[in-house]
Amino acid sequence: MVTTGSAPELDERQFEALYHEHFGFLVAVAIQKFRVPESDAETLAHEVFLSYLKDPAHVRDLNRWLLGAICHASRYYWRVNNRLSREAAEDFERIDPSTINILESLPNQIAAREALECLSPRYQEILRLRFFEGLSVPELAARLGVKKKYAAKLLTKCLRRAETLYERKGRRRLRRR
Amino acid sequence: MSDKVVSFARAQRRPDPARVQEFAETARRLQRERQESADVVARALRETPREEWPRLATRPDLRNSGALNRLETEVSTRLEKEPQEALLLSDLAASIAETLPPDSYPPVVLAQLRAHAWKDRAQALAYIGRYPEALEALDRAEGQLSFGSLTHDRARIRYLRALTLQKVNRFEESRAMLAECRAVFRDFGDDRLQLFCGIAEGIQLYRERAFQAAYDVFISLIEVARALGDGVSEARLLNNLGYCAIEVGAYTAARIHLSEATARFTERGLTIEAVRSDMTFGRLLVQTGQIDAGLRHLHAARGAFLMHGLSEDAGVCGLFIVEAFMASDRYTDAADLTDEITAQFSGSLLNERALVAVRHLQSAFARHVATVEIVRRVRVFIDALQTDPSLEFAM
Repeated sequence: MVTTGSAPELDERQFEALYHEHFGFLVAVAIQKFRVPESDAETLAHEVFLSYLKDPAHVRDLNRWLLGAICHASRYYWRVNNRLSREAAEDFERIDPSTINILESLPNQIAAREALECLSPRYQEILRLRFFEGLSVPELAARLGVKKKYAAKLLTKCLRRAETLYERKGRRRLRRR
Repeated sequence: MSDKVVSFARAQRRPDPARVQEFAETARRLQRERQESADVVARALRETPREEWPRLATRPDLRNSGALNRLETEVSTRLEKEPQEALLLSDLAASIAETLPPDSYPPVVLAQLRAHAWKDRAQALAYIGRYPEALEALDRAEGQLSFGSLTHDRARIRYLRALTLQKVNRFEESRAMLAECRAVFRDFGDDRLQLFCGIAEGIQLYRERAFQAAYDVFISLIEVARALGDGVSEARLLNNLGYCAIEVGAYTAARIHLSEATARFTERGLTIEAVRSDMTFGRLLVQTGQIDAGLRHLHAARGAFLMHGLSEDAGVCGLFIVEAFMASDRYTDAADLTDEITAQFSGSLLNERALVAVRHLQSAFARHVATVEIVRRVRVFIDALQTDPSLEFAM
């Protein structure tokens, strides 16, 4: 534990040891106390370690500093995460309200399938995961290997595309009648 | 969280080796850059004329975290005596930090480097009374910190914002911000910055003229400073206690606090602060009727300010002496000293408005219409120029 006011001059192995010594603790705090998902908790812990390096000379009690840092980082994580979820919800709201859940609200599966068939295979897959398998946006992001914010945007884009294509198809059908 | 859970987690979890490596490499690199840059920065500043400092931003050997750290130190050491130089250096640091390539450091580290460079610029701007620009620089600093792990850095910036808000009389915002920062520093076990927040709260109360409340805050912090071994903060607290005690009429306590403050500042080599404390002590003696003893302290303080090239402080101290002369009917001495102060102000690079004010006083003496009230008005105006350089002297 660093308790002095001077910058610790450590070699690379000592830095590694420091990381190993505290990593588990920080991740455990983020997961168990703040319910941060595991992979994000590890990223938070890593960022905490990196931010410690700017001014190690002013850290008098490393354990306490790291604990404070991971707690605040976890709270910040949820503040940002909740804001993202709200942003995603707002994204949905910006579309014509009647088409917010277009696939779910379609009168029957046939119409939904027709709409899906209009889309590219990737878009089909995204909508299938979200609306047929019931994945949440964070789960969808994890499955696609993209960030949550991007997954939400992608979803909106798919819905808009499905809506446009479905309406176009409907108009064609009406014209045929 | 129980120790059992934590120790279980410690035992079970293994970090990603790539991340461990990134951390260790970054740590070693920052350490190396810090060591290598100290001399490089000092030499570059010595060998380059001041007006060409902005061009140093393109020098490859200064474009790293170590140089930025060193510049941070240079800024803070020059704030008191050479605030314009401090501003130039903070500009240089901000310009280096902003133009570092995005992949030069891990994003968290880069964000910190940029944020602190802007924070220093804000501090330099606030020091010379350019508060709106200082607040803008603080916005820039905070804008860099989009990582949850940088809460401590964010609190340091907000602490500075709170101090700046005090200067523009936005006391409520400042108070809320200081409380918030104090809580963050407590969570990080940062007792020193918690102490600083406490001192700032006391200063705010003093500015709001709640002198007894300010006194109580400062007195409660003395032991904290002692426990931390922070002699400089202890000296500042004693000095502040002296000021508060004067305001509440506790002159004996004020004398004790101010003489202790002077002694502590002197022990720590903080000569200018020691002189300022001594000047306040001299004022106190004059105020309590011990004019000759007070004048001795004031003359000594003025001499010390002049020796250190602090014309403004020397001028303000001189005006206290003029006031004391007037109070003891030494009109000629007061007029002579005013001439001397005017000559000193003319020969220095002070705000032109300060010169206008002392010339007004000089002219009043020449017309034999000078009063203690005019002297006081000029002194208060020159003092206020330090916080708002755009003030106009009302004739």
